[in-house]
Amino acid sequence: MRYALLILLFLAPGLARAQAEALENPGAVSAIQERQYRMNHELYLGVGVLPADAFYKGLTGSVSYTYHFSDTFAWQVGRGTYSYNIQTSLRRQLERDFDVAPTASAFEDQVQWMVGSDLVWSPLYGKTAVLNSSVLHFEAFLLGGGTVVKIDRQDGFRPAINLGLGVRMFSGKTLSFRLDVTNNVVFAGASRIINVPVVQLGTAFNFGATE
Amino acid sequence: MTSRSLIAALASAALVVSPATAPAQSGGGSLPMPPPPTAGAKAKPGASTPAPGAKPATGTPAATTPGARPAEAGAPAAGAEGTAATAPATDKKPEAAAEAPPPVPQKVDPGVFDQALKDYFDGKPRAAAGPLYAWLQAAPKTDDNYAWAQYFLARSLIDLGLTHAGASYLARIARERSNPNVIPRALDTLKDLTDRPHDDVMIDEQVFGALDLGFLPEETGAYAHYQQGLVDLRVGNERWANTHFAKLSETSAEASHAKFALLVTRLKQVKEPSDELIADFLSLSKDEKLTREARNEAALAVARLRYERQDYTGALEAYNLVKLPELDPGRASLYLEEAWTRYKLGEPRASLGILTTLDAPSFRDEFLPDKYLLRALIYRDLCHYLPAKRAAKELTRRFADSLEAVRNRDDLAQDIRLRRAANSHGGTQRASRFVETLDLEGERLGRYAGSFGDRLFTHLTKLYDLSRAEAVRVYDARLAEAVRQEADTLLRAAEQVRLMEYEVGLKLYERVKKGAKLVAPEDEQLLTPDSVAFRFDGEYWNDELKSYRVSIESRCIEETP
Repeated sequence: MRYALLILLFLAPGLARAQAEALENPGAVSAIQERQYRMNHELYLGVGVLPADAFYKGLTGSVSYTYHFSDTFAWQVGRGTYSYNIQTSLRRQLERDFDVAPTASAFEDQVQWMVGSDLVWSPLYGKTAVLNSSVLHFEAFLLGGGTVVKIDRQDGFRPAINLGLGVRMFSGKTLSFRLDVTNNVVFAGASRIINVPVVQLGTAFNFGATE
Repeated sequence: MTSRSLIAALASAALVVSPATAPAQSGGGSLPMPPPPTAGAKAKPGASTPAPGAKPATGTPAATTPGARPAEAGAPAAGAEGTAATAPATDKKPEAAAEAPPPVPQKVDPGVFDQALKDYFDGKPRAAAGPLYAWLQAAPKTDDNYAWAQYFLARSLIDLGLTHAGASYLARIARERSNPNVIPRALDTLKDLTDRPHDDVMIDEQVFGALDLGFLPEETGAYAHYQQGLVDLRVGNERWANTHFAKLSETSAEASHAKFALLVTRLKQVKEPSDELIADFLSLSKDEKLTREARNEAALAVARLRYERQDYTGALEAYNLVKLPELDPGRASLYLEEAWTRYKLGEPRASLGILTTLDAPSFRDEFLPDKYLLRALIYRDLCHYLPAKRAAKELTRRFADSLEAVRNRDDLAQDIRLRRAANSHGGTQRASRFVETLDLEGERLGRYAGSFGDRLFTHLTKLYDLSRAEAVRVYDARLAEAVRQEADTLLRAAEQVRLMEYEVGLKLYERVKKGAKLVAPEDEQLLTPDSVAFRFDGEYWNDELKSYRVSIESRCIEETP
């Protein structure tokens, strides 16, 4: 009881101050604007890299179509990525100096292409001042979905779960730029999982958005 | 809020706004240029005119680009002898002569003109100005090149940032009319200068307002017709003004400006503005031939007229017609008017939001006594009596010095707030800017003391001193009237605020009846699915200035029978 009174005593000035502030400056001010950029049918073209594998690096080209149900929720109906793979010096050294066969299973994990579909959730929409002279609008999103990955072996189709995040910078009503960082968790075997991270930068064309 | 007289005053401010800068005269390129200076000119003194048979250069409109030569034919031959030696800037004797009253014109080698012209077209206006002035002093006014020398001296001075001095020479060309080939170019240049702070008596009234319009090219003629019509309107002669305006092409920008001027004049004359008048203003607000500023003025006129007729929805629509450049903060008076309109429409929260806008740093120095009154009214209506009282007191606190000055019958022009308010619009603003321009150019002139030579420098110093004295006289006269009007506005607001304070004081201590209930909160939907909200925490973003909304509950108590 004594402690409760003591706590109350300490809280009282703060509460009184808050009440006085509310009395003097009532109300809360917000800038309420029509959302300047809204997505509808999105066609995306991008390039990227598969940076993680020590034996190769993939240079990717991607295309996707996304339908936006609302400002915060969308379905990336289809996406396809082709990877042009460049062997690393490590692999060349292994093959040259240690006679490691090119068919070793680690070498065969390299991604040739993949297709998939994702759900996209964009909880963040904001703007930032550029050099105090212009305003840039952006949104950040999370995406998750499934992928079919074709790896470099016969009968090489593997399922994968794709999770990632991205940020979109709006340039205009019909044009925006996207940076996606995703990871495909590929089920390569019965008890083997490989991670295929993808970093992509691309241009998104928006069709059918209302003004 | 805005009385009709205020509308008329504001609109009349727009009346004198110069029209849009018209593109350079299309036919300018075909105007004859000064005769080409002869190579190695060694003509006798006093006969500086190039050979009568010399062909006027055609083609390139040299005057529009200082660095460009008029044409090959017009290019002064290199090696004009004797010019450098006779340049007055280096001549000691003429210096002494210039100081002796009265100044005796010095004989100047006729090649000086050619060399100065060459310097001008070589992009050296500083080197050209002194010799051109010296040549003008020596040459008879009947000389064929006299007007050209004046013109190029003017262009040199304008290029050097001495626009007023340049304008005075151009005005002289227009008044003397000694060479019809030079006049259109001089008028074009003068017309361009009217976009900046300028001597409106010298240029608008004495040149464009008094021109014989028969010989002018179409575009310059249109501008002159417009200016002359304006002069007639100002003196209350609409019929004569119409005579000038009727000569303007319907599709020209001047015609639209003239229509705007006529509407403003009619607005001043009528007691009850007709629907037709409002519709005319509305059509002008969408007229692409007008500048954006002029279109906005027309939209504001529509909004104000509709407000006066208590058509608040229509007024709001008209305010929305005002288009600003991206991230432009806009005008404080516009926001305040919109705030009043929304208040009258029964949107106190939106109105309070706009008042938040007016607290932005961009508008901190604006003179808006009404702002405090409106804020107090809104708080009072929502039964927030303490903030209402505070808002009301804020006016008397903020303008305490100005109110004190009014009460003490001090010189109001010395009050910094009233002075700033008076300087922010209308004729006082123009006069103030012109004085600032003269000060700036006067300082700039000092930098050219060495290269101009004593004679030109002394002449220009005198010119700027006299012009400044006159500009200050005009400014002081306008300021005295303008500060009186601002003081009136302040006093009216202060009086209303005192009433408000009294009323709020009574409400503050009113007894609440037993069983009284709070008024049911209004169902306000601030955020629609299409909109996005950024919580305001004291940081102003220019793109948000029109979007602030305040969420505030009414604390009013239901009246029980």
